[in-house]
Amino acid sequence: MATEVKLPRLGQGMEAGTIVKWLKAEGERVERGDPLYEVDTEKATQEVEAEASGVLLKIAVESGEVPVGQTVAVIGEAGEAVAEPDASGGSHREESATEEPETAQPPAVETDVSGRSRRHESVTTRPQANGRRIKASPLARRMARERGIDLAGLRGTGPDGRIVAEDVERAEQAASEPQRAAATAPARAATPEPPADVESVPLTNVRRTIARRLTAASQVPVFVLTVTADMTRADALLERARELETNVRVTVTDLLVKLTGAALMRHPDVNVQFTDDALLRFPSANVGIAVAAPQGLVVPVVRDVARLTLAEVAARRAEVVSRARDNKLRPDDLDGGTFTISNLGMYGVEEFVAVLNPPQAAILAVGATEPRPIARDGEVVVRPLLTLTLTVDHRAVDGAPAAEFLRTLKSFVEEPGLAI
Amino acid sequence: MPELSYREAVRDALATAMRADDDVFIMGEDIAEMGGSMGVTQGLLEEFGAERVRNTPISEIAIVGAGIGAAMQGMRPVVEIMYEDFLTISMEQIVNQAAKHRYMSGGQLKVPLTIRTQGGAGWSPGAQHAQQLESWFVHVPGLKVAFPSSPGDARGILWSAIYDDNPVIVFEHRLLYPIKEELPEQLEPVPLGKARVVQEGTDVTVIATGPLVHRSLAAAKEASEEGISVEIVDPRTLQPLDVETLLRSVEKTNRVVVAHEAVTRGGFGAEVAAVLQAEAFDWLDAPIERVGAKFAPLAFAPAMEQYVIPHPADVLAAIRRTVARGD
Amino acid sequence: MLSDERLRGFLREMLLIRRFEEKVEERFRAGELPGFLHVAIGQEAVAVGVCNAMEDGDVFASTHRAHAHTLARGTHPNALMAELYGKLEGCSHGYGGSMHLYDVERGNLGANAVVAGGIPAIVGAGLAFKLRDEPRVAVAFFGDGATNSGTFHESLNLAQLWKTRSVFVCENNEWAESTPGWQHSPVYDDMSKRALAYDMRAVKVDGQDVEEVFELAREALERARSGEGPVFLDVETSRMHGHYIGDPQVYRSKEDREEAAERDPIARLRARLGISDAEWEALGNEVREIVEASVEFAKNGTDPQPEDALKNVYA
Repeated sequence: MATEVKLPRLGQGMEAGTIVKWLKAEGERVERGDPLYEVDTEKATQEVEAEASGVLLKIAVESGEVPVGQTVAVIGEAGEAVAEPDASGGSHREESATEEPETAQPPAVETDVSGRSRRHESVTTRPQANGRRIKASPLARRMARERGIDLAGLRGTGPDGRIVAEDVERAEQAASEPQRAAATAPARAATPEPPADVESVPLTNVRRTIARRLTAASQVPVFVLTVTADMTRADALLERARELETNVRVTVTDLLVKLTGAALMRHPDVNVQFTDDALLRFPSANVGIAVAAPQGLVVPVVRDVARLTLAEVAARRAEVVSRARDNKLRPDDLDGGTFTISNLGMYGVEEFVAVLNPPQAAILAVGATEPRPIARDGEVVVRPLLTLTLTVDHRAVDGAPAAEFLRTLKSFVEEPGLAI
Repeated sequence: MPELSYREAVRDALATAMRADDDVFIMGEDIAEMGGSMGVTQGLLEEFGAERVRNTPISEIAIVGAGIGAAMQGMRPVVEIMYEDFLTISMEQIVNQAAKHRYMSGGQLKVPLTIRTQGGAGWSPGAQHAQQLESWFVHVPGLKVAFPSSPGDARGILWSAIYDDNPVIVFEHRLLYPIKEELPEQLEPVPLGKARVVQEGTDVTVIATGPLVHRSLAAAKEASEEGISVEIVDPRTLQPLDVETLLRSVEKTNRVVVAHEAVTRGGFGAEVAAVLQAEAFDWLDAPIERVGAKFAPLAFAPAMEQYVIPHPADVLAAIRRTVARGD
Repeated sequence: MLSDERLRGFLREMLLIRRFEEKVEERFRAGELPGFLHVAIGQEAVAVGVCNAMEDGDVFASTHRAHAHTLARGTHPNALMAELYGKLEGCSHGYGGSMHLYDVERGNLGANAVVAGGIPAIVGAGLAFKLRDEPRVAVAFFGDGATNSGTFHESLNLAQLWKTRSVFVCENNEWAESTPGWQHSPVYDDMSKRALAYDMRAVKVDGQDVEEVFELAREALERARSGEGPVFLDVETSRMHGHYIGDPQVYRSKEDREEAAERDPIARLRARLGISDAEWEALGNEVREIVEASVEFAKNGTDPQPEDALKNVYA
């Protein structure tokens, strides 16, 4: 009996994916669990495994975007007749259950409180006024469109208040000269044609997603706090840890993840997210690490950091970073972060301000540890210093709590024993 | 220039074609001695004789069918169906045979048949002698349909219909027969598929056929007194339709009224309105208005008949609606 | 009296038609032929007799049961089979099919799917020949069922009135689809009365005797050609199979069907000419090859492009 291979929902809110490459060919034998094909989702390109064993009888979708649930292939026994797979997308219902804050994984797609995933707003040409459709003749609409005039602002003199061509013309004339120049400017500046030697690289799903999410993030009111920590004791601890733990090389980032997790447990007010109706407080610190992967920026998450040892944090970090670099991240590698650390120290950056990773309320930017002069007991000494910059969503967290958190974190960095 | 009535203009086209071409002959009921029930063919029997001006029995099926057969042999018969209501009797020959021989034979045959007919209300002829059925034939691939509204158009279009290699139905209108127009001696052919701008204007386009061309002119005169400038376009041929000319007019005025004497519902105006809303959507500043007969057969009693058929006032009301303002 | 040689020619033609029709039935049942089909098995003598009596320049219109007339008038079996397969090489180039077979070069003005639909045009053609004074005749084939149609009546009336150069051939096989003669016509036992109603000359013909068909058709054509007036041929024939391919003929008794088989015009002519078994076999093979070749030709034919559907709507 042949099995239809349908595109699985690989993450919350996933509606479709783009099949990029088939890893098995028609006629080939596959075993359950074998990687079958690669799919590009909004978050990452990942492998999908075969869920049945048999012969790959037919590949229904060679490449391209496919809705979740659509049949993309058929696996069965050699020689089996294959009916044309159902081309209609299999039914998949949007989440309708309200998410419980306690067990909630922060959704990967923006949600409103009821938990239903919100579709992208398609560009609409229908202006809404008072929620009612505007009555305007086709000619008036076209004229308004062409001249950049908002119909919502017009009064219609046609029957039933319909906006007619004359009304649009009148509105245009009423605008003063300089205003008219601005009003007739196109709403979206057309991108001029790049010169011929400029390469035009099509946007991947990942890049689009980054652009979209961080544009949204840039609209959040934030404030930024900076501290500088003395890494002397931290460096010693790291050296010791590396001697003890040979399976994985413990890094500064690992230590910061661990210490941040501990600090968040002390300051749960920072381990939150703002939504329109409520503030979500998370019980565990799931710290994401910003990784520069070949496909773009990804943030794999180390879950429940507080319960992990430094070695375990390092192992987990190594695992996900490796997957990120190979573009083989799984959805649950990326889900559930409550806080993000971004370390550009390895590039020599002294300090920087990171952009919030929505919907998280805070992100820590880590610079390079460098020997710098500092005043101690009235004397100038040189110490390994690390600058930490915290960007905070002011809707979710106020200055004082954020400062307290940062102070705690600094104290943990300077005296790691305090974090135990 | 001599003045010819619509009736005389039609006759002129027939006579000119018959003089020029032995293959043209006419047949129909009472067309010989009597000269046709509308007097159109008067004098033709005397000039061309009984072989080419043939009275027929009351056999609409055979009249059209024989016309088809002669046309397939290369002649150019012009058959007259006395009232367009009787086209219904010859529908089978028109629709199943004439319209389809060329197609079904894969292009081997031509049917250069012309059917002349007339109809029209306003004189209490009763429901079975007053219909306007032109839209039925626009619906049949393989047929051409024309509806001239003036003597010059009637003469020129009939000529083109006779020399068109396809079956053409030319609709005349009883009330138009006496209309006169100064026409040149020499017959000027009017190509099928070409509309005529009857009157230019800027505020609204009235697309009208047959008697409604004239009623629209009357309505337009009144409208101009209200400051509304009306453009009137007569398609003249319904199939094929000169969409280009109609579109140019709509692009100029942005408002449309379609007017015909036929019943509004499912009438030719519906086709025009659909075509224009699809092709000139962004030029329309008002919904397209249709003027036609109300949805009832035509009663005998004058008051009832008049109620149903469209008048200049109906065209004027439609014009006003297209430019209306206010609540 | 026709020579044996001539009659042998007729026999071959009838047998070709018979085998062609049988092949059409076979191919239809195999699911290869679209639409629906009506074969003229049993009525071959009428087609062969009348069509051979026609001269060059004569034209005819046929019915939904038109394969025999089409072949008898000279359309190549390849062109006919290709049309049934809907190919461009078909005599109507794929536009017509079984019920709209045209071959204007051979005077075939079309099979017609509307009963009696083609008859008025034969009046018109006969009128045209008269007006132009051409020694040509237009022939209408139709069945007994058609004689009830208003179209038929108006046509005969006008033809006789105007003395058009037309011949009306009524293939009276006594069945209008599933309705027997006595159920559809008050004059079913003497169809010539239909013509007499219009004062038209009517001739009774034994449609299963190809020689008689030929000779009486000849006479009728000559009369029409001279302008003396149209002729109605009341041709008695037998439909050996159903109305359409696949018709189970539940309405027809076994005896009726057997009787029809006994009147098989091919068997009759064969017996009359004393064709030996060897000759018969040779003839059969010859014909079979032609028919099978036509199927090959058709199957290898060109399918029309879908967009071709928009051509030929107007001249």
